[in-house]
Amino acid sequence: MDLTYTAEEEQFRAELRDWLAGSIPPEWAEPGFWRSLDDDESFRLRREWEAAKTAAGFSGIQWPTEYGGRGGTPGMKAIYDEETVRAHAPQTVNVLGLTFLAPTVMAIGTPEQKSEIIGPMLRNEVIWCQGFSEPGAGSDLAAVSTRGVRDGDDFVVNGQKIWTTNAMHGDKIFTLVRTEPGSERHKGLSMMLIDMHQPGVEARPLKQMSGASEFGEVFFTDARVPVKDCLGEIGQGWRTAMLLLSFERGASGVGQYTEFRRQYDEIVEQMRRFGRSDDPVARQKMANCLVELECLRYHAMHILTQVEQGRDLGAESSMTKLQWSETFQDLWEAFDDVLGPEASLERPRPDVDLTPYQAQAMWSRSVTIWGGSSQVQRNIVAERVLGLPR
Amino acid sequence: MFFALTEDQQAFAATVREFVADRFDLDAVRAVVEDPDGDGHPMTLWKGLADQGALAVLVPEEHDGLGLGLLDAQVVARELGAAVAPGPWTTTVLAAEALRLAGSPAQQAAWLPALAAGETVGTVALRGEAGSWDGRSGRGITVDASGERLSGTASPVDYPAVAGLFVVAATDADGAPGLYLVEAGAEGLSVRDQRTYDGTARVGAVELADTPGELLTGGTLSGGEAVGAVTARGAVLTAADLVGVAREALTRTVDYDRDRKQFGAPVGSFQAIKHTMADLHVGVTMAEHAVLFAAHALDTDDPGADIAVAVAKAKASDAAWAATGAMIQFFGGIGFTWEHEAHFFYKRARRRAPLFGSADEHRERLAALTID
Repeated sequence: MDLTYTAEEEQFRAELRDWLAGSIPPEWAEPGFWRSLDDDESFRLRREWEAAKTAAGFSGIQWPTEYGGRGGTPGMKAIYDEETVRAHAPQTVNVLGLTFLAPTVMAIGTPEQKSEIIGPMLRNEVIWCQGFSEPGAGSDLAAVSTRGVRDGDDFVVNGQKIWTTNAMHGDKIFTLVRTEPGSERHKGLSMMLIDMHQPGVEARPLKQMSGASEFGEVFFTDARVPVKDCLGEIGQGWRTAMLLLSFERGASGVGQYTEFRRQYDEIVEQMRRFGRSDDPVARQKMANCLVELECLRYHAMHILTQVEQGRDLGAESSMTKLQWSETFQDLWEAFDDVLGPEASLERPRPDVDLTPYQAQAMWSRSVTIWGGSSQVQRNIVAERVLGLPR
Repeated sequence: MFFALTEDQQAFAATVREFVADRFDLDAVRAVVEDPDGDGHPMTLWKGLADQGALAVLVPEEHDGLGLGLLDAQVVARELGAAVAPGPWTTTVLAAEALRLAGSPAQQAAWLPALAAGETVGTVALRGEAGSWDGRSGRGITVDASGERLSGTASPVDYPAVAGLFVVAATDADGAPGLYLVEAGAEGLSVRDQRTYDGTARVGAVELADTPGELLTGGTLSGGEAVGAVTARGAVLTAADLVGVAREALTRTVDYDRDRKQFGAPVGSFQAIKHTMADLHVGVTMAEHAVLFAAHALDTDDPGADIAVAVAKAKASDAAWAATGAMIQFFGGIGFTWEHEAHFFYKRARRRAPLFGSADEHRERLAALTID
């Protein structure tokens, strides 16, 4: 066991910490800050900050330098995830593009796609959405029914996508489209890169149970997509999608642990405030959350080790997803368990505003659904890790 | 970043695993389980473990040991747990740890070579009957004003009947805790067999009546710190044993449910079983991570070691109980029979879960560390 980072990685941490300290206003650390802003304003602020971060050399940490990245190590990426959370940096506005699309383009994109997509994405000049889910294709992704019909050098696309993150701010969307009429399931699909600023594309916000609108719907009505804007081979969209989703394994347990551990401390603070910190049942509930949180941290170090050794994580990323999402949800259910009736009040006392916590508590219901529901993840673990029969 | 066992540590694990599989299989375990009057201390296993260096792992080289760390020791504990192997390995290693941490050079020289070679069985008596493991209530054994005579009862103690050396936690006349050496056969020492449903161990109460004991002193740690350090190591090695039990129970259950057919299909194809197995696999894996981290934290005097030990013991206790309970459930009726081995795993997990602090006690410890 050696749980330290290299000297070079620690040097990177020092530089990053320095830059973050100078670029993040103190009010960003206040629990209700981002919620106090109008959605467009929040997005604009985050986009500007992130552009400055890219200019300072702190984006695309692990990307090759030829794509404008830093050419860093997996350890640097883990440090980046940890330090940005510690500094209360906002979440990236281009999360799906940076996490999934960019590495896929680097792997199988044409030279034109590489030069046209990656740089502008890194500089946040183009915000990317992901169009996988449909009203009839949730956990069953292969049930895609959005269709594209060839018309000269274009495809003409009709259909609907749903649960699209950043739908209202997106410039382009990478999306699965059925391009072979009559094809079924995994066959006859293509991965298209579609310009959202055209008459045939309409985005509508979805209001979530939390009241926020992080997701939206995207409607295609005779949208036109040049054939050259397919990623990977036409008709091989499923293969492209699987490659794309495989990049989720970079999912940062280190950053998540740092964030959730801070939330644990915030809930403890409220426990003390409302005189619940001596309650033995409440203490057990919180401590059990801590057990799972610490396990998430150890697991993140295990995963980082695997990545550094060049091992393929495969289905192990399903375990990571289960551990972080279930733990996060349990933590925010514990919030209500330990506070009792006060947990549901926006202002239980004149000087106490619990709305930021309640927003987290409501958001926590989504994390066990998106990105592969817990039930789908359990099937994957059972079948592909344990080898139980289908 | 290297969060894993080294090749040497993996090879050590494989050596112990192969030895136990070859020389002490489940039939041998059954023979011990079905002979509750026996001492539960088979010499073939014990001598073999000594030959592998499994008893010498933590003992310094100057006392004929290997001078390795808890990370290496937990490798052995996991394999013994997976094999539901009987014998006083854990307690002997812990007695040696007490000497290493708190003993004088003379005390170490007197006992460590014999413990490392398996010539002397050691055990630890840290808890008073119905008391707490951290000594906040019911230490059980007190020392008289001379500082050399001990009286009281410690329980439960593993393998007291075959122990040549007892490391006893006791409170002196000023109320200060400390670790004392008591030799087998000492005046006023008696062992009362308590019997346990876990046939892979032998357990008794140690009763002392004005019994001569020698304070462990002159080492790195003393007093309550020494007691705490030995208890923490007991928690981690027990957690490692439990993780070994849990992993083996889960593996055997998965193997069985892959083939066992009901309703015309393998029962392992049903989601009610799949999802439980998946959750158990995640839980056992997390417990494995937690044990590695806690062992490393103690080896390196990590400031977060207190939290790490409590996390590991809480998680491993819960994971082992859950995995072995599921083993009985998912083998169905056959898993509830005496002839089947599921009860070896279940009973071992259930008995060991509360040792050196239960999951609840360790969670309360975590609350004290992060809420108070």
